[in-house]
Amino acid sequence: MTYETIEVRPVTPTIGAEIHGVKLSEPLGNQQFQEIHDALMQHQVIFFRDQEMTLDQHKDFGRRFGPLHIHPHAPGPEGHPEILRIHADENSKQVAGHRWHSDVSCDPEPPMGSILHLHTVPPTGGDTLFASMYAAYDALSEPMQAFLGTLTAIHDGTPNYQRRSKVAGKDDARAYPRSEHPVIRTHPVTGKKGIFVNPVFTQAIKDVPEEEGKAILEFLYEHNKKPEFVCRFSWAANSVAFWDNRCVQHLAMWDYFPQVRSGNRVTVSGDRPF
Amino acid sequence: MSYETIQVKPLNPTIGAEIRGVDLTQDVSNRQFDEIHRAFTDHVVVFFKDQQPIPPEQQIKFARRFGDLHAHPAAPTHPEYPEIFVIHTHKDSKIANGNNWHSDVSCDEHPPLGTMLQLHMLPEGGGGDTLFASMYAAYDVLSPQMKAFLDPLEAVHESEHIYRGRYSDRGVDDRDKVYPSAVHPVVRTHPVSGRKALYVNGAFTTRIKGLKKPESDAILQFLVRHMAQERFQVRFKWETNDMAFWDNRAAQHLAMWDYWPNERKGHRVTIKGERPV
Repeated sequence: MTYETIEVRPVTPTIGAEIHGVKLSEPLGNQQFQEIHDALMQHQVIFFRDQEMTLDQHKDFGRRFGPLHIHPHAPGPEGHPEILRIHADENSKQVAGHRWHSDVSCDPEPPMGSILHLHTVPPTGGDTLFASMYAAYDALSEPMQAFLGTLTAIHDGTPNYQRRSKVAGKDDARAYPRSEHPVIRTHPVTGKKGIFVNPVFTQAIKDVPEEEGKAILEFLYEHNKKPEFVCRFSWAANSVAFWDNRCVQHLAMWDYFPQVRSGNRVTVSGDRPF
Repeated sequence: MSYETIQVKPLNPTIGAEIRGVDLTQDVSNRQFDEIHRAFTDHVVVFFKDQQPIPPEQQIKFARRFGDLHAHPAAPTHPEYPEIFVIHTHKDSKIANGNNWHSDVSCDEHPPLGTMLQLHMLPEGGGGDTLFASMYAAYDVLSPQMKAFLDPLEAVHESEHIYRGRYSDRGVDDRDKVYPSAVHPVVRTHPVSGRKALYVNGAFTTRIKGLKKPESDAILQFLVRHMAQERFQVRFKWETNDMAFWDNRAAQHLAMWDYWPNERKGHRVTIKGERPV
């Protein structure tokens, strides 16, 4: 694929590309928007460097890709419910997303993508790893692909979010979203298939005995994180990562305690997986 | 179903029955044979109670009524009767036969249909039970999706890793020997009952064909754990001269070796089976 208005530097042949030649704080031209979208479809997660953005500019960029998603667990700052604050410092008892997941996959219509802008990064550490669920699917044998294609998984946000509330010392008896999604989903734009179960939100395989479901899920969790499906991104201040939750899982490394890592995430709404 | 010439007492609804009213030191009538065969088919493993030691010729003769006899690829044979596999464990034994779940010699192209074991000597102080698990039951409770996945798959069964050097202390020199391996369906259909049974085991089955190695490992590990659930099992506590007859096409078994240094001894005769389908 050739690009005319941006420069695209792949991180690996499988997943990830850095995008240069664009300022996200300014309105995007139609062609530039289209090329950024193309790069996201091709590389599944894209990275931008040296981007200074206000919250409004961040949201405007996100809205080019669809309506913004409001997080069910973490409310945004005053006047910005669509902003998810990402912050860890010397007082943190936990960080968000330190296990492999696809964002809020417990939603009936999980987010299409997430755009994270970090303004403060630790001197070292705090990388984010992204795994291509296309590559993970493609690496399976045909019988296994066909088998998984017959299965549906149950995703539930309650265990994860209630545990997080508990660690934060807050009472939380809320029920969070619970949904059923196919174990193998088809990307609505590319038409490619990817694995769509993750250890944070997926609780079980529907309508199979519990031990059978566990065996399948444990196998997939190990499989999905193989280094050949993964790229690892090292942040700098004002880096932006934009990942496609429909075909990518990610993990935020918390190896920098007690250092500060801080920024904002805008999440673009998605559609019902099929 | 009723029996007229033997008494059949199921040990549980899933697997295992005791048979009384037949003397295996004598020839078995055709009607008795038919009923024994029916009980064997229905219960997967049967235990003949109240027996006297069966002379080797007679045990061989009875076994032949079920089919040709199977020659074990590795084990030493009885000095006079090559059809007899002497089961003998004592204080100097370094191994005991079959103390992990398995179906006998599933590495053979034509694995045994069934195995008859009479124990003439039981360990003093107890122990030495044999556990049998129904592979019908293990298959039946899988999800329809898992069944559909497993039904067309085939697995490789090997024996080199089990048999090489295994009987060296009983005088078997296997330097020039090639141990068997075979490919069998993961789910086999029993030729008599027509029922489907899981046919992979933790001893001989090394991989599932057509799957990637980690997939095969994960599925085999799941199946080996799955089939070992207590709800598929009967645990048989032997009395002297009991004879067990199990169907290797539908059962796996495990012989407990919890009685060392005590002695346990008997005669096994193995009946050849068809190629699994």
